[in-house]
Amino acid sequence: MARIVVITSGKGGVGKTTTSAAIATGLALRGHKTAVIDFDVGLRNLDLIMGCERRVVYDFVNVINGDANLKQALIRDKRVDNLFILPASQTRDKDALSQEGVERVLNELSEDFDFIVCDSPAGIERGALMAAYFADEAIVVTNPEVSSVRDSDRILGILASKTRKVEQGGDPIPGRLLLTRYAPERVERGEMLSIEDVGEILAIDLLGVIPESQAVLNASNAGQPVVLDEESDAGQAYQDAVARFLGEERPLRFVDVPKKGFFGRLFKG
Amino acid sequence: MSATPSSVQTIELKGRMMLVSVLRVYQTDPEALAAALAARREQAPELMREMPIVLDLEAVAAVPEAELRAAIECVRAEGFKLVGLQAGAASERLQDASGRSDALPVLQLGGRSGAPVGEVPLEDESPAPEKAPEAPPETAVAAVHTATRIVDQPVRSGQQIYARGGDLIVTGAVSPGAELLADGHIHVLGPLRGRALAGVRGLVTARIFCRRLDAELLSIAGHYRIAEDITEAERGENRLVTLDGESLKIAEI
Repeated sequence: MARIVVITSGKGGVGKTTTSAAIATGLALRGHKTAVIDFDVGLRNLDLIMGCERRVVYDFVNVINGDANLKQALIRDKRVDNLFILPASQTRDKDALSQEGVERVLNELSEDFDFIVCDSPAGIERGALMAAYFADEAIVVTNPEVSSVRDSDRILGILASKTRKVEQGGDPIPGRLLLTRYAPERVERGEMLSIEDVGEILAIDLLGVIPESQAVLNASNAGQPVVLDEESDAGQAYQDAVARFLGEERPLRFVDVPKKGFFGRLFKG
Repeated sequence: MSATPSSVQTIELKGRMMLVSVLRVYQTDPEALAAALAARREQAPELMREMPIVLDLEAVAAVPEAELRAAIECVRAEGFKLVGLQAGAASERLQDASGRSDALPVLQLGGRSGAPVGEVPLEDESPAPEKAPEAPPETAVAAVHTATRIVDQPVRSGQQIYARGGDLIVTGAVSPGAELLADGHIHVLGPLRGRALAGVRGLVTARIFCRRLDAELLSIAGHYRIAEDITEAERGENRLVTLDGESLKIAEI
């Protein structure tokens, strides 16, 4: 049985798809057979971030409708073994995601995958609800600013009531916070919420902090999940997050203002 | 000419907030509808009898007019106190020359009507903090205590919790954008950053207690103060909100 994890946020543009690509790739790099599904039907992006947009033949909605089987629709990643992408349909809308259809696809994937990463669309409508409904756990992607925090709070409330686990009388699924686009200098200047500020409002475990980094944009433009850029701060931060996701203890990195000058070098390391 | 001496007031028009429950109908099959209504009434027969209900038929606006009328009759027959009809396509179809729908006033309530598309229902029983009742069947003794509602999970943005007929105690935080309602008092043991409305059915002695007050809105028996009217000095640890005449008073406990 696969572990199904939803990457969600409520607000758009905070880094859900970047995170889905990075986490899925990170899990596969560690030898776990992983599928990542784009639930953003109508606004297909994951294939671009994963660099497989030219190999899309069938999509998620085709599989749900029975026009194609999973084998035909899943795209095998060329860089990382064990990594498969199920792209969204660009020509349909989210109403095409029937609950039964989504369940059937997830059940079939569960049979031979270790992890299924669901890349949720923004908002709290059908697409987002379907991405979260069958999940075993959630990663809530949040930027350190008030509107993103509020939307994440909203999503956490929905996760607490609108999943299969809860509707069957179980506990709410665990949700962990991934703080992205974090800029320690701006936090220090009081221009950005700190990790503590966000943690106080959302009150959930912290999975990781991804620094604001040019590497993320470069990776997106190149169609290369940023976690593969092992030199970059963001890539390393995502690797840490994946390790913590799998139960390892890792100290937070890239959350303090880098020390500069003579003393900085003296005390480095 | 008025027969009443001018010094004695005859009427007064005042704005008051009132909580109205919206009953949304998703199918008009008479048997299914009657069964669902009866089941719902069973949960709290006393409250249901006096609770003002606005009927929302927009989700079934497409069914024949006769069926819509049958649905209204069915709701009445089950003993619900109908005070109006949600405005929309269905109510238009039912309208007679006087502009009333089946002798019911048509009301435009806030929020969307019709079939929710992935909308999180905000009806009072929906929020997560209240898990499906899994406790053993309540004994007569337990029933005495059900008036107080205790919520052990954080109340998040967009969630609304209503303690009908009693007090509400939230042991965690109440986020901005969350809303607490109670017929009685409200206690928040975590920070209160959302809205809190106590005494929503007019209990002027209701109070709001909170460990940390940073609310968006406070209300007791319809008298309210928005965030802008709550000063920095009034915000802070251990606060008690009471209604003093027509204004809300915030004091340190």
